Amino acid sequence: MSVAVIATYQSDFKTSDPTKTFPEQAQEAAVGAMKSVGMTPDDIDAVVFSLAPTFFMGVADADRWSVDHIFAAGKPIFRIHTGGATGGSAVHAAHALVSSGFARSVLIVGAERIAETPDAQKVLNLIFDAFYERDMPLSTNTSVALQLSRYLQNHGLTEEDMAQSVVRQRRNALSNPHAHLKGEITIDDVMNSKPIALPLKLFDICPRSSGSAAMIVGDESVAKRFQSRPAFINGVGGVSDTYWIGDRVTPTSRTDWSSLKVTEIAARRAYARAGITDPMREIQLVELYDPYSCAGYQQLEHYGFCPPGVAARLDREHVWDVKSGQVAVNPSGGTLCTNPIAITGLVRAIDAASQIMGTAGSMQVPNVRNALCSALGGIGQFASVTIFGAEPASH
Amino acid sequence: MNVYVLGTATHPPAIAQRGLRLEEIAYHTAHAALEDAGVSRQQLDHLTLGACDELDGRPISSMLMAAPAGGFLTDEMKVTDSGAMALCLGYARIKSGEFHLGLVSSWCKTSKTDVEYIMRLRGDPFFSRPIGLDMTTADGLLAQAVSEAFGVTEEEAARRAVAGFERARKNPRSLQHDVPSVPQVLDSEYAATPMRALHRAPMTDGAATLVLASEDFVRRNKHLKPLARITGVGWASDSYRLGASRLRSLQSFQKAWAQALAQSGAKSPDDFDVFELESQTSWHEAAFVRALAIQDETKVSPSGGPFAQNPLFCTGLVGAVEAALQVGGRAGAVQRKNVKRAAAHSCHGYAQQGNSFVCFESVESNP
Repeated sequence: MSVAVIATYQSDFKTSDPTKTFPEQAQEAAVGAMKSVGMTPDDIDAVVFSLAPTFFMGVADADRWSVDHIFAAGKPIFRIHTGGATGGSAVHAAHALVSSGFARSVLIVGAERIAETPDAQKVLNLIFDAFYERDMPLSTNTSVALQLSRYLQNHGLTEEDMAQSVVRQRRNALSNPHAHLKGEITIDDVMNSKPIALPLKLFDICPRSSGSAAMIVGDESVAKRFQSRPAFINGVGGVSDTYWIGDRVTPTSRTDWSSLKVTEIAARRAYARAGITDPMREIQLVELYDPYSCAGYQQLEHYGFCPPGVAARLDREHVWDVKSGQVAVNPSGGTLCTNPIAITGLVRAIDAASQIMGTAGSMQVPNVRNALCSALGGIGQFASVTIFGAEPASH
Repeated sequence: MNVYVLGTATHPPAIAQRGLRLEEIAYHTAHAALEDAGVSRQQLDHLTLGACDELDGRPISSMLMAAPAGGFLTDEMKVTDSGAMALCLGYARIKSGEFHLGLVSSWCKTSKTDVEYIMRLRGDPFFSRPIGLDMTTADGLLAQAVSEAFGVTEEEAARRAVAGFERARKNPRSLQHDVPSVPQVLDSEYAATPMRALHRAPMTDGAATLVLASEDFVRRNKHLKPLARITGVGWASDSYRLGASRLRSLQSFQKAWAQALAQSGAKSPDDFDVFELESQTSWHEAAFVRALAIQDETKVSPSGGPFAQNPLFCTGLVGAVEAALQVGGRAGAVQRKNVKRAAAHSCHGYAQQGNSFVCFESVESNP
């Protein structure tokens, strides 16, 4: 059974939004998605709530608080939480509900309110093991700094190479009305930004964003009724690696953490389902979960767009440019410009699907037939890849 | 695509499992379920977890728990509603045709957590948190509501509690709590009027895992003998607002049941031989039995339900294991005769905001 994206909505993203409560944010997205195609709550069979740690906002199970606001009372609803990969996993869960025949239409909705906590990093520091890792001290920034150091060394790359992605994507984000960070900056701006955990500087790192998003997926009958140009979910792939970073960097590791090799497994699974054999030729656009400047390059290499260590060099040749490149990489600006953790993966999916549906507005890239989006969680431990197509894959 | 249960395991329950870390409990349970099913971890293509960060005491608890629960390099997802909801999603993932062999795992160490503190954290900051609403008061409100709606008395609730403890004593997988007398229940302190302390199932530590397989996988592995077939799942949520009408109506309970029943091929509760109900208190059981119009109450929770063990977040998944064992004829001392169909109920959220059902059917042989 083919599963189609019927409607999407995303709010504008910013550091905080004191004008709305969490359920009101979720409601904005749910209503926005339904209204965009003339659906009503009665047209929704089930709901998947995309919500990562609630420690950021201080209300446990805030999805339950939102039930009435998103018209889910009386309906099947559950919450998906796979850390940063949550939004991607939520799309995959909704895909399973439709393709299993359990539901004809599923609303995927979520909100992020990360600015409710004075310092999200302190919450994130608690994801590391209390006995072995937390005292090092590891944080998301220091751990990725270690990863990046090794990646640069392994491939003879420089910090300036990584800075290219920030420059390109902040420029892309100028076309994205929802993006949190955007603008014309230079490599020098990135290099001169405040050191956080070297080689990471402030501009190498995503912002903390608040906002909400929703996507409605459905079977052929619902798609036919509400959407003349759906995007089809043709491939889903997910993977969960070991928790222990030390076990991901040894010569005998199944996955090389320093290059995010685990993402290759997720892509391979998604490609197999979507029938993709030559990504560079068959996929025109990618929306990557790239909270750090290196993450996009690492994923492009593992998704088969170029050999290991080459993605940043190809950026110099504008291969990833939206207008003149071979593959449009993060026309939205990506996670480097907007990171509402609970729904970042969902926003990536929305930005990819919208390009196929022709609803990407000022970000629209012409002639997108296949698009890939990704989501990562848990310090490169969880990965999900979704392939959208203009036509349903022939399984 | 039919979905089968190949194997199950529950961790030996304890009031406080101090000798094992949470990941060790999950590992032992997943390992036991794989052995019970006769398959290896390497054969798994997915894992569906039911876990709660707040009860586990760490953000993104699946980072630590996924691999011990069987998830190394598999496609893993986590739901945060309840262990039983993970079973519903795990079922859908195989039913979709994308997956063929997976685990559904859940755990909860209530002993290391201030559960009521977590429950108060679930309250919205504007209305329910300032009045101090927690699990106890929410369950008390439900007891009041069903008392008015169905005429349930404290005495009936006491008799049901005693019966639950008695059934649990026979269950080899239970904690073997002492069985109180009806007067002892009626003399126990009010937890939240009219609910008394001994109307409630004591919380425990525990874990549960089910091994699910597609029909394709089972056909390709003729040596495997499925324990049960899952014939239907249903779940629904009520409003967040704890109004009396919401509590009385048991709307999400009824909707979840109707959904699961419609898929199961059965016509009514009479077609089922066992109902494993997640009755956190005997008031809940009184309401659930009436809502299902169960005439023969010997069908109700032969395992003792939460009175056997109650690792809060995964109690419903433990009930699913008990239901699968019943249709598989492997429930031991609490086995009922000729069980063809069994249903496992679970609930979550304040006063059962969310409810789910999973229906099981016996399997004669490898399909």
